[in-house]
Amino acid sequence: MITREEIIKQTNEALKKEFEFKDDQLLPTAQLRDDLGLDSLDAVDMVVVLEQKFGVTLRQGYDLRTIVTLNDLYDFIEKLARTHQK
Amino acid sequence: MECLRTCFNTFVIGGAAIGWLVMSTLIAAPFLWLTSSAKRDRAVRKFVYIQSRGIVFFMRLASKGLSVEKQARPEGSCVIVANHASALDLYTISAFGFDNIIYITKGWVFKLPFFHYVMNGAGYIDAEKTSPEQILAQCKTAIEKGCDIMFFPQGSRKDPHARFKSGAFYLAEQLNLPIVPVAITGTRKMLPAGSFVIKPAKIVLKMFPAIYPKDYTGELGHLRMAQAAKKQIMDFFDKQL
Repeated sequence: MITREEIIKQTNEALKKEFEFKDDQLLPTAQLRDDLGLDSLDAVDMVVVLEQKFGVTLRQGYDLRTIVTLNDLYDFIEKLARTHQK
Repeated sequence: MECLRTCFNTFVIGGAAIGWLVMSTLIAAPFLWLTSSAKRDRAVRKFVYIQSRGIVFFMRLASKGLSVEKQARPEGSCVIVANHASALDLYTISAFGFDNIIYITKGWVFKLPFFHYVMNGAGYIDAEKTSPEQILAQCKTAIEKGCDIMFFPQGSRKDPHARFKSGAFYLAEQLNLPIVPVAITGTRKMLPAGSFVIKPAKIVLKMFPAIYPKDYTGELGHLRMAQAAKKQIMDFFDKQL
């Protein structure tokens, strides 16, 4: 079972690699749009990157607009990973 | 000596450049206004090209040398992407001979007095006011008219190494257009963002061979194209520093 720490680490690694963020930008409270500057196309790309990273489907049956901060994103992936595990 | 040159650049060459922009617009405006509405946007874009060539001439006078490294442009329309570090960058693209460009820019440029007439008249696209679907549709119409599409994918002049956002590359992928990466170096030293002082600097403009969407397949193809174009441009940019 993947731990929350591992999810945070892997998510941040993917965001740094694909979107060139620096460690000090990736605070759990950082807002994806306003603080990290991710536009709608970036959000779609981010979802694809994370799906490939974690092997889960983020796009179907969920409202991704409810994900505002990085913390929301970690929570969302953690929830999906648990469901996937079961 | 450097200080004297800076004063000369700022007051004499800068003044002449502003004079050129104002006078050419005043002279051309009635002719553009009289052009039939079907052909007016093309005429405005041609006028912007001529104005830009004039500004590149003044940049050459103010510089410590201005060189242009060209490539054969791809056949048909293309998407041009360049790094962005100065207000002068907008004009430098004319040095490669692209004379029918649709710029996709941020909304604040459309609010500038005097400029907004030209922006709207040429059919440039406000990226903040227009939805991605509308941008795609408008660009499709533009390429049918033989236009090239121009983006500064960094979106801002603040950080010269800022990430290339993938919108331009997504558009190229959707419309199956080649991407032409262009590196602009030296303009940040000559006229950085927020400054009115024109310093002498060596300017190098380099056009790279086109990148084709067919070589970047998969769901993240446009992201990979953005990364490849940025690497090419920034490797060259850093070598010139």
